[in-house]
Amino acid sequence: MHREDKRHEMIQVTQENRSGWTVVSVSGRADASAADDLETALCSAIEGNSKIAADFAGVTYISSAGLRSVVQAARAAQVHKAEFVVCAASPMVLKVFNMSGMQNIVRIEEQLPC
Amino acid sequence: MLSMLEEVVLLTIDDRNGKLRATREFGTAYALVGALFFDLVLAGRIDTDTEEIYVIDQPKQPPESDGNLSLDRVLAHMKQHPELKTVRDWIEEIYIERGDLEGETLQSLIDRGILRHENSKLLWIINVERFPLVSNEPQQHVNLRLAHAILSDEIPPTRDIMLVSIANACGLLGYVLSDSALETRKTRIQWLSQMETISRKVTEAILELEQIARTALPQ
Repeated sequence: MHREDKRHEMIQVTQENRSGWTVVSVSGRADASAADDLETALCSAIEGNSKIAADFAGVTYISSAGLRSVVQAARAAQVHKAEFVVCAASPMVLKVFNMSGMQNIVRIEEQLPC
Repeated sequence: MLSMLEEVVLLTIDDRNGKLRATREFGTAYALVGALFFDLVLAGRIDTDTEEIYVIDQPKQPPESDGNLSLDRVLAHMKQHPELKTVRDWIEEIYIERGDLEGETLQSLIDRGILRHENSKLLWIINVERFPLVSNEPQQHVNLRLAHAILSDEIPPTRDIMLVSIANACGLLGYVLSDSALETRKTRIQWLSQMETISRKVTEAILELEQIARTALPQ
């Protein structure tokens, strides 16, 4: 029940602009300890930009708390009328997205749009 | 702010007469267990993935700040039983160990001045227990959030997604929206309910018990 061994793998988030898109690259574990930071990073990118791609290629694990961060980022995008897409997630993360029906709420793509 | 557990119990009160509403078989008890776990999630004390549940050892909020005996009791129980790992295991465990969760939550709503407790006699013999609303406002607030989450196309806040999913699992949505509205928004309700592992597992547990009950009944 405890995952102390993995919790040292902190999430890392970087942001850059490419071909009209703001790309937020996320790597590490998107779990409860990282969820607030992830949501803040995604939402702040969404507030200041109109096209945001979350690059999930480096996400090694996503928990329910991580999923909620992505859903709330999608909510912020809806409020700000911004385009928000989650890209390049690993098969393991995609499996979690599919089980929770994330594709019904958030646009999920195999590759970055830029 | 009310806890998820208090909001779910409030949904089970009939606003016309203060009686507790009937839900799906086993529905209310499992819904309360699910709501309790959502309160632990919202307090930053547990996390889940698609199957397993994790106690967060160093929550951002200090444990003393919860001030909720039910949550503290469940959390202490979870720490004593590391052999139970899955969300489903824990739903079943707390379902068995829940004690008078409904009564405790009703008392909490009475203490907050939202409900009052009335005992009366039917035909001078049968005890009738009722919990009339002191003010309709808190229940209406919960109902409005549920209705908005279901009827609009907006992505709801986390708390409202949890509320829809747990109310759907135990059959309480019929008290908030008409059958035709629920039918029209069936797909959206399914989307919202599917998002949370806790609600998916609560639904599984209820369906399984209903199936067992049906099988056990003489044909």
